[in-house]
Amino acid sequence: MSVHDPHAWDRPVRAPAWRPRLRLPSWRWLAEAMWWVEHSFGRARADARPEEDTRVRIFLILAVFSLVFAGLAIGAARAALFAPKGGVGSVHHPFAMTRADLVDRNGALLATNIVHYGLYIDPAEVWDRPLAARQIKQALPRVSMKRLNRVLNGERRLIVLPGLTPQEKAAVHALALGGVTFEPEDRRVYPLGASARHVVGASDGGGVGITGAELAFNDEIRAAGQKGQAFPLSIDLRVQGVLENELAAAATETQAKGAVGIVADVQTGEILGMASWPTDEGLNRATSAHYEMGSVFKTFTVAAGLDTGRADMDTLFDASEAFMIGNRRITDFHATNQILTLEEVYLHSSNIGTSRLAVEMGPQVMRDYFTRFGLLDAAPIELHESARPRRPRKWDDSTLASLSFGYGIMITPLQMTAAMNALTNGGRFIPLSLRKGGRRDAQARQVVTPETSAALLELMRRNVVRGSGTRADAPGLRVGGKTGSANKLVNGRYDPTHAVGTFAAVFPTDGPLDARRYSILILVDEPGTYPRTGGFVAAPAVGRIADRIAGFLGVERRADPYRTALGEAVPQYQDVEGDGR
Amino acid sequence: MSLLVLPLQRLFAWKIRGVRWVEIIGVLLVAAMIFSVYVAKAAAARTGSDIADLERQIAENGRRVRLLRAEAARLERPVRLEALSRDAGLVPVDVHRLATEDRLPTLAPRPEPAPAPAPTPAPAVAEPEAPVAAEAAPATDEAAR
Repeated sequence: MSVHDPHAWDRPVRAPAWRPRLRLPSWRWLAEAMWWVEHSFGRARADARPEEDTRVRIFLILAVFSLVFAGLAIGAARAALFAPKGGVGSVHHPFAMTRADLVDRNGALLATNIVHYGLYIDPAEVWDRPLAARQIKQALPRVSMKRLNRVLNGERRLIVLPGLTPQEKAAVHALALGGVTFEPEDRRVYPLGASARHVVGASDGGGVGITGAELAFNDEIRAAGQKGQAFPLSIDLRVQGVLENELAAAATETQAKGAVGIVADVQTGEILGMASWPTDEGLNRATSAHYEMGSVFKTFTVAAGLDTGRADMDTLFDASEAFMIGNRRITDFHATNQILTLEEVYLHSSNIGTSRLAVEMGPQVMRDYFTRFGLLDAAPIELHESARPRRPRKWDDSTLASLSFGYGIMITPLQMTAAMNALTNGGRFIPLSLRKGGRRDAQARQVVTPETSAALLELMRRNVVRGSGTRADAPGLRVGGKTGSANKLVNGRYDPTHAVGTFAAVFPTDGPLDARRYSILILVDEPGTYPRTGGFVAAPAVGRIADRIAGFLGVERRADPYRTALGEAVPQYQDVEGDGR
Repeated sequence: MSLLVLPLQRLFAWKIRGVRWVEIIGVLLVAAMIFSVYVAKAAAARTGSDIADLERQIAENGRRVRLLRAEAARLERPVRLEALSRDAGLVPVDVHRLATEDRLPTLAPRPEPAPAPAPTPAPAVAEPEAPVAAEAAPATDEAAR
């Protein structure tokens, strides 16, 4: 080694070439054991025991196989004996489907899924095409002949008609034609037809809700469907049926353009029935149509007056002459020309009286109370259709006067129901709900004092006994309520031939404030018969509905200070004249 | 030691027609096991198909139940029932024909039993309210339900 390495001094010292290989002890043991086995042949030869080698190997292989088989046997036995019942996929329900059945609060069916069949034809397998076309058309009249011929003369297997009912499928199947096949498809079916259709809504072919409760509760309905359960709504089909029938009768009788009926539980906010007539119209007037409702609003004005302490039952209002605001002249429909108490203002439905009260309270108070009653926001309900009201732009004296008797603001019937519920259940504003049991998440809001609520119940009862709502009374059911009659704005003018007659009722009015109580709202849109006031077009329907649903709701007939249980007048209370305003 | 091992070895080495009897027995046992496994598997498959069949039937019946329920709901829709009731001349019960249970004893007795008691329609109601008059019309709403 004569070659000089000039960098040798600054190089790191090289590690020695030999290094003991690092091995884990277990590996070493295993390697040794393997080599021991591997060398057993040589060892045996060396020991002059040539039979040993095979024996050891056989034994070893035997041992290994036995071990493996024992392991497998134990595993198999364990799987066979101790496997959980139903296996891994046991969360699957036998009756699971994409959307749950919709039922009413008592379990009556409102919407369900039924297997329908798509009709497919493979023209290659059809022998006599004209004959097949004729026979299918005969068995299934609603099939389009054009489509049928196109598929029959085509080349591939194509769908002719989706959504065959089981009966239609059976009829076509019975023809025993070649090449005709059926594919099952799940379809949403509404067995009630037009009944409750605005409440239930509809869902599309893909199983997604598009209107009504189907849309509002879409996710929950799907979740319930996965579990094979039904989804109950707050609707009571018996109440709904009575409501629809009486509403249709009232609308036909009054030759109306449309009508709305809502029955709700005052204490829970549950909607027991909601109908919009005509039923074949897509528009749900209860949630989406706006109306100036007229005198029903006097209830809110009076409630605000009582609640603020601005007035009590005996406060006097001068209705002896028209009330002038600027050059606007407010008169009464049925002028009394005298000084009225607050109660008389309500019972005679005096525009002058409520206008004076509203102007006295001022815009702040009126706005505050209208907000509290939910009149300035969309009705709180799960339905997506619930529309926002058309609110007044300015709050001057003239507007206040209009608002006090229900003009200048257009609200939906559901808003009216929500507000009337709040006034008649002790003053708690409870969001409306289509869910059985009402809404659990929402909190009730105290909007007026219980005393105000009690006073209003009494006032509404007296209004039915001897005010403008006498036709709404039902024997023994202590109905209370307020009529509303408004003219519609046609071409910029309020036209008396286009009217809206309303009756907002509640029954029974007696008993404690938290007793079971139900509100009925009937609105008749553009009645054709005269008189067009709420007391004539809407109130009779309210009376009939209350009479018929009381049994379903468990309301007993009882006497009160004004009427006996059979509806006869108690003598000391005589009717004042009711003009149905 | 050899006293014990030797006979065993002899026994082990005993052959029938050139085949060890141990092997013959082993083959027989394996054959028996294969056969029994086959039988068990076949039975399991049959049971499995039975179960599948029953499940299919259950599903089919479930579908049928749904269909019939829908049909029943269609036939019982309030509009149709009311139209039928009105056609049959039935009207909601008048309030004067209603009585509560506790008033039953005070009601006037039936004036005269009808000469030929025609089979009356279904008893009016299962409600607490009972008809006062003997020939009370059934309450359309309640009877319909």
